[in-house]
Amino acid sequence: MEQQAVWAIGIFLVIYALIISEKIHRTILAMIGGILMVGLGIVDQETAIHHIDFNTLGLLIGMMIIVSITAETGVFKYIAVIAAKKAKGDPTRILLSLMLITAISSAFLDNVTTVLLMVPVTFSITRQLKVNPLPFLITQIIASNVGGTATLIGDPPNLMIGSAVKELSFMSFIYNLAPITAIILVVYIPIFVWLFRKGMRTTDELKQSIMALDEKELISDRRLLRKCLIVLALTLLGFFTHQLLHLESATVALAGAFLLLLLSGEHMMEEALARVEWMTIFFFVGLFVLVSGLIETGVIARLAEQSIELTGGNLTATSLLILWLSAIASAFLDNIPFVATMIPMIQEMGNMGVADLEPLWWSLALGACLGGNGTLIGASANLIVAGMAGKEGHPLRFTQFLKYGFPLMLLSIVISSIYVYLRYLL
Amino acid sequence: MLTYRYDHQVIQISEVANNDDFEFRIRIIREHPCLEAMKKVQQEFEHNRVYTDVLFYVYPNHEFHVIVRKDYYTDFVLELMKHRLLQQVEWVPAP
Repeated sequence: MEQQAVWAIGIFLVIYALIISEKIHRTILAMIGGILMVGLGIVDQETAIHHIDFNTLGLLIGMMIIVSITAETGVFKYIAVIAAKKAKGDPTRILLSLMLITAISSAFLDNVTTVLLMVPVTFSITRQLKVNPLPFLITQIIASNVGGTATLIGDPPNLMIGSAVKELSFMSFIYNLAPITAIILVVYIPIFVWLFRKGMRTTDELKQSIMALDEKELISDRRLLRKCLIVLALTLLGFFTHQLLHLESATVALAGAFLLLLLSGEHMMEEALARVEWMTIFFFVGLFVLVSGLIETGVIARLAEQSIELTGGNLTATSLLILWLSAIASAFLDNIPFVATMIPMIQEMGNMGVADLEPLWWSLALGACLGGNGTLIGASANLIVAGMAGKEGHPLRFTQFLKYGFPLMLLSIVISSIYVYLRYLL
Repeated sequence: MLTYRYDHQVIQISEVANNDDFEFRIRIIREHPCLEAMKKVQQEFEHNRVYTDVLFYVYPNHEFHVIVRKDYYTDFVLELMKHRLLQQVEWVPAP
């Protein structure tokens, strides 16, 4: 193996280990890793920049701006209270309603944003009903990861896959992944009802207090809300038709974001741009460069070669291997660097003669997104909810989440294996 | 302990202590400027970084149910005072 490849592997493994240890912020580590790849001459700056996927970054930034402005209108609280009233104040029905809202929102917003919007409302409703918020938070974590699997923009792994594989449009993600996520959610519903049946008791008086709430008071700016809804609708329309329009999804998201800024006025701009999660954006930048070192030195190609050798080039075996490996890895590791490494590997498999890569892409998407439910450290949204819960006096422990998350994650991967096999491999 | 006084012609306030919270029932009688002031109090606690310090539930006829965590009782009362929903706030020795 060439000296450059050895250096690239060394840097990658050290950075990866440090990211897992969580001693230093992952963004700093990814950026240092990327800088080392360029600084040590493993990739030159031009090549490194070429590997940074600006479609992924633009899409994330655009959606973060749209959501941060929309959240200001109070519409998410409004939807949650309407759902609680439709559920007639019954805790079990509210648990399921909030779970479904989280899943649907996560399909169109990123998971972290969704839980940041849902958790405060959950605290408010559960406090009023005097029930433990943890079952609500656990179901929302799980729903955010399942819902995010359904679309190209729902979860970073999908965004990265969609961006790297131009043939996979927004619609093809929905067509291929939405049915399986719907099946998984339907299977989860009775399980959640049974798992959390004990903590769902409240009084009729407290239910009535929910029913009497004036949800209209929650909308703080109706004019801004109208503008946000128009722009959101246009942006979604843009996503559905981006291939017809010959536009990248990042162009659609950024157009929506800056149209909304134009309509809402310059005074919103500073705050909206400040709310973009720049740490996540730079984490992506660092990772793309870090992985570029492995690609340019031929490490990824060799890994792909060995994977094909292991499965004998059999498409079924390769798909299921990717699905399960992605799920188990994503349960314990950050799924973003994992997917960043897997994408070039699958592309390389295509170069080596694997004719139909589609089952492999869907296996990667399903494994990486659903795997996040395995443990509390499996996805950013899990950690964000646990952090918020702990701060508010309701600590969600690693083992407590593991007890629910891991078996449910395994169940979702079993269902996904059957789905992938029946739909693509039979 | 902190005690407060308000104008019964413009606002009605009742409070009960629970395990870890105080629950307030507040009804705004004089809409202007008290309703706007009450919304500012709500905004203050909803935009800070603690989600469960003071929780607001809004009902028709300008009625508010406010659940205040014990450690935020003083902050909440002083915020009401800041927005002139109270006339007087005073520290008095506990009975």
